[in-house]
Amino acid sequence: MNNSIAVVVAASAVLYGTPLLYAGLGELLAERAGVLNLGVQGMMLVGAAMGFWTVQRFHVGSPGALLAAVGVAALAGAAMALVHAFLVITLRASQIVSGLALTIFAGAAGLSSYLGNDLNLASNPARHQFGAIFPASAQHWPIVGPVLFGQNLLVYASWLCVLAVGLYLSRTRPGLNVRAVGESPAAADAMGINVTGYRYAHVLAGGAFAGVGGACFSLAITPQWVPGDEMIAGGAGWIAIALVIFAFWRPDLVLVGAYLFGAFAALPFTLQARGVTIAPELFQSLPYVMTVLVLVLVSSGVAKRRLGAPAALGLPYVREER
Amino acid sequence: MIRIERRLRQPRLLMVAVPVVSVAFAFGLIALVLLATGHDPGHTYGKLFRSAFGDAGALTSTFASATPLAFTGLAAAAAFRMNLFNIGAEGQLYFGVVGGVAAALLLSGAPGPVAIAGMCVGGAAFGALWALIPGVLRAFGRTNEIITSLMLNYVAGLLINYLIFDSHSYWRDTTSPSAAVFPQGKAVPDAALWPVATLTHAAGGVLLPLGLMVAAGVAVLLWGLYRHTRFGFELNVIADSPRAARYAGMRTRRKILAVMGLSGAIAGLGGAAQAGNFDHLLDPRGLQQQFYGYTGIVVAALARYNPFAVVVVAILLGGLKNAGFALQGADFPSGLVGVMQGIFLFCVLGGEILIRYRIRLGRQSHARGAPEPAA
Amino acid sequence: MRGITKRFPGVVANDQVDFEAAEGEVHALLGENGAGKSTLSNILTGLYRADEGEVALYGRPVHFRSPRDALDAGIGMVHQHFRLVVPFTVAENVVLGDHRGEGRAFRLRPRAIERRVEELGERYGLRVDPRARIWQLSVGEQQRVEILKTLYRQARILILDEPTAVLTPQESEALFGTLRAMAAEGRTIVFISHKLNEVRAVADRVTVLRGGRSVVALAAAAATPQSLAALMVGREVAAPARIPAGSGPGKAALVLDGLCADGDRGSPAVREISLTVRAGEIVAVAGVAGNGQRELAETVTGMRFPTAGTIRVDGQPLSFGDPRAAIAAGIAHVPEDRLGTGLAPSLSIASNIVLKSYRSDTASRGPFLRHRSIARLTSDLIERYSVAAPGPSTPARQLSGGNLQKVVLAREFSGKPRVLVAASPTRGLDVGAIETVHAYLRDAAAKGLAILLISEDLDEILALADRIAVLYEGRIAGEVDCPGADVEELGLLMAGGVAA
Repeated sequence: MNNSIAVVVAASAVLYGTPLLYAGLGELLAERAGVLNLGVQGMMLVGAAMGFWTVQRFHVGSPGALLAAVGVAALAGAAMALVHAFLVITLRASQIVSGLALTIFAGAAGLSSYLGNDLNLASNPARHQFGAIFPASAQHWPIVGPVLFGQNLLVYASWLCVLAVGLYLSRTRPGLNVRAVGESPAAADAMGINVTGYRYAHVLAGGAFAGVGGACFSLAITPQWVPGDEMIAGGAGWIAIALVIFAFWRPDLVLVGAYLFGAFAALPFTLQARGVTIAPELFQSLPYVMTVLVLVLVSSGVAKRRLGAPAALGLPYVREER
Repeated sequence: MIRIERRLRQPRLLMVAVPVVSVAFAFGLIALVLLATGHDPGHTYGKLFRSAFGDAGALTSTFASATPLAFTGLAAAAAFRMNLFNIGAEGQLYFGVVGGVAAALLLSGAPGPVAIAGMCVGGAAFGALWALIPGVLRAFGRTNEIITSLMLNYVAGLLINYLIFDSHSYWRDTTSPSAAVFPQGKAVPDAALWPVATLTHAAGGVLLPLGLMVAAGVAVLLWGLYRHTRFGFELNVIADSPRAARYAGMRTRRKILAVMGLSGAIAGLGGAAQAGNFDHLLDPRGLQQQFYGYTGIVVAALARYNPFAVVVVAILLGGLKNAGFALQGADFPSGLVGVMQGIFLFCVLGGEILIRYRIRLGRQSHARGAPEPAA
Repeated sequence: MRGITKRFPGVVANDQVDFEAAEGEVHALLGENGAGKSTLSNILTGLYRADEGEVALYGRPVHFRSPRDALDAGIGMVHQHFRLVVPFTVAENVVLGDHRGEGRAFRLRPRAIERRVEELGERYGLRVDPRARIWQLSVGEQQRVEILKTLYRQARILILDEPTAVLTPQESEALFGTLRAMAAEGRTIVFISHKLNEVRAVADRVTVLRGGRSVVALAAAAATPQSLAALMVGREVAAPARIPAGSGPGKAALVLDGLCADGDRGSPAVREISLTVRAGEIVAVAGVAGNGQRELAETVTGMRFPTAGTIRVDGQPLSFGDPRAAIAAGIAHVPEDRLGTGLAPSLSIASNIVLKSYRSDTASRGPFLRHRSIARLTSDLIERYSVAAPGPSTPARQLSGGNLQKVVLAREFSGKPRVLVAASPTRGLDVGAIETVHAYLRDAAAKGLAILLISEDLDEILALADRIAVLYEGRIAGEVDCPGADVEELGLLMAGGVAA
């Protein structure tokens, strides 16, 4: 039963959806504060490289090394986000162009590949990696075994993150303030909220989440580093951005969407492994085509009234201007 | 304290001076990156310049690298100017190669000029069609064109893989002996090879491909379109204020379709030029390793969407790319080209604030205010 | 506040302004648009920093670095354009940014805040449902939320910027009552206005600003409308005399029949409006902001799709939702939002002059533009309408409000229209510019143009209109002939009441 295609796809949907979930949550935080960051792809790649470097470099026990790796990946992602934040918040550059610049700067032909080569990351298997944490017996339980108990720690941590971000936005005072900053920075400013500070903080947090999302690939899914990692360079960062639109800027729906897109990403491998003989390119294009289709459905339906989109998304806030 | 004020007028001098200073600043930053990672910036820069523009051979390769970048840069500039963020020049260029090669194969036996014209039409048409998908979705479904055009790049890449590796398509060579060993594209007939002009005054002969000249022609047309036509006028209004455009009775949807189609056609024309001048066949792996489309965005943004500047910047970045390719190794770590492009972009983007705003280092008023005399 | 100076690029908004208000008084800050009232209050609330001068509260000098400092010092402000987060509830807006009291807790406790908002509302007669979302509220209710915000933050000094602009005369009276009650508790109320009657009705003292300078401070009781007007404008102003429209109404030019349209959120905003405007007649649509005026203007000019009804121009039915068809039918439009809808801000004056006529023979030949001919036309119009601008290639955004409106009018009149829809044509303009715009409108009507004037300013309507239709919740609550219209009656209609 656990070999049935539905269970296998569901289990890998969770696995492949997790990096999307982290990156999507991060993008959601930045966008809720009114800043669009199209550089997710680049932040993920740098996070993946730096996370992998950490496990290779630090000779401590596995849990310590992995924890440090996640921390370093988050810092690396946040550092990338800082460049974007400075350009668009302080220097008021176009958010779209700056995000694209970040993708090119940090992306597959940029910093991540520079770092990977300079730090000699290529062609070595990971010294440590995230594996399943529940006993094998639990993993053999029908359906829930592989899907829920066969996952690594990063998957379970991501659930906590969804809960935390959800509660943060809806139930806390800083959360209320962020939402106000994204909806109406002028109103927030008049009420004494530090618009610039909130925007910086959430863009950086978004970068940290994207960095961890990238590390999911190099520490758990395919524990190695290859220049311009196929999985991430295959558009994970962009799908994460589409995910936020799909989720109407709600953390709980980001979870749903991440696993949906994770399933699209996992399907080609699964079907190929089952010996389905149609041209692999057709399967491989599935995630991209589905992303476009989902986006079209979402945009043309309810979202016509920009349901959920922060009203000030993409706009710089300048107080003293006439 | 630092104060940022909007400038009432934007002096022409600044429009030129600021990007130049920004690029100089970028070179400084990149030198820091090189130093930090144990390279000698002076040495690297020297080699870089020599391999890009140092001799006739270097210039010939630079022009070759610049040709597709000029097209994708113009494609991005044409759309970005109207705030349509077509990130899909990459895929549209692939489609241009497909359309251009198909036209050349169909017209085998035709005289050169006919074959070349056919390739241009085929490439532009295929590129435009591929770009119209995100265009239609944006115009009629209000779907974000950034993400759709980007996703379609991946689909286009897989599609050309399919045409050569996994099918016996019209584009695949099934007859030659080498094709039996490894799948490859069918070469276009000799009549369809694009000519190359030799600039004789340079020692050794600098070769200027027809594609780059076509790109320069497209730049002139694009400038004329934006500056001198009713269509361009409408685009300028829509770009500045969509509400004003609607108020004036302009048909925004049609303009979105037209501009996306135009942008795709230019990228597709670049594909045809790439096939006609350099590749001569559909080479999926080769195309996808170059990131022509993405680099085109850098070109357009650095040129501030001015078509003439696009051609110039394309030659500069073409030189960088060509040098990066020639120097790969200890002198020039891979990935540095992307890092440099990114830093150039960041600096030019950041520098724009100096054009739009005046930055003043002012004293805080109350710091020098004399204490109020007691009443 | 002493010697306050604030410069913006190209203008000195405040030039050595002195301002002083006492505890327990309602102090009016009077001045026409552009005199520097808003700038001064933005300095007081920490939004702007003064270039020179100093602010003292209760005798102590203070330096506000941000609005938070000003809020903590007990200064609250109700902005002219409300600073509310539209998708939030009333309670969420009230507690926003509070870092003392209830708001100090990391966790939000909506119940407690809602109770507090209800209490405050009871006490000051500012009742709103704390759980309602802002977009569900009328403009008057939104203003109450703004005042509640300041009360919740325990403001001792309350600044209101043009608060009556969005209220009916009766609502304004109620607001004055609230303000007096708050002053009686020892609070200081700074009341910003350019309307003389209001200032005399509510204020204890008045400070007059003119051209960025403080002219004088005096007791309200000692002032007459004439003396205040003279101080405000700097010269004697004749009371706006009604000049009868010239030719008298001709045949029906614009006929609306059963017109309905939805608002931005999909709910009906214009409901079964039937209205006729004859050639040579100015029909005004009055009403409190947000009762469907904007939607009505947009529907008639083709910028919004009607859901039912017909629009006829000179008897010909107009195709729906097509601005180009409306322009072709001879409907000119002076939109509420001058810079952004009426004009493309970064484009030149010349481009904006041919914004609607770029397809004409003057502006283009075939697909190509005739730049020289366009420049000539623009120079002509700049001269004829005396637009103060360096030249045809100056970007629109560099012009002042009055000159922007002249460019819009020049373009709209040069299109030889049959009907003009003018939405708030003088909002934010100074007295001189208002007089000019009014003269153009009267003149055009005298030459046989049918004008639909949509305005929230009753004074303007009374000065211009031949007939007044009052809009309430998207319906016409009543029609009144204008010379002889009664302000009380209009006020009742604006509030949805039935005319006696």
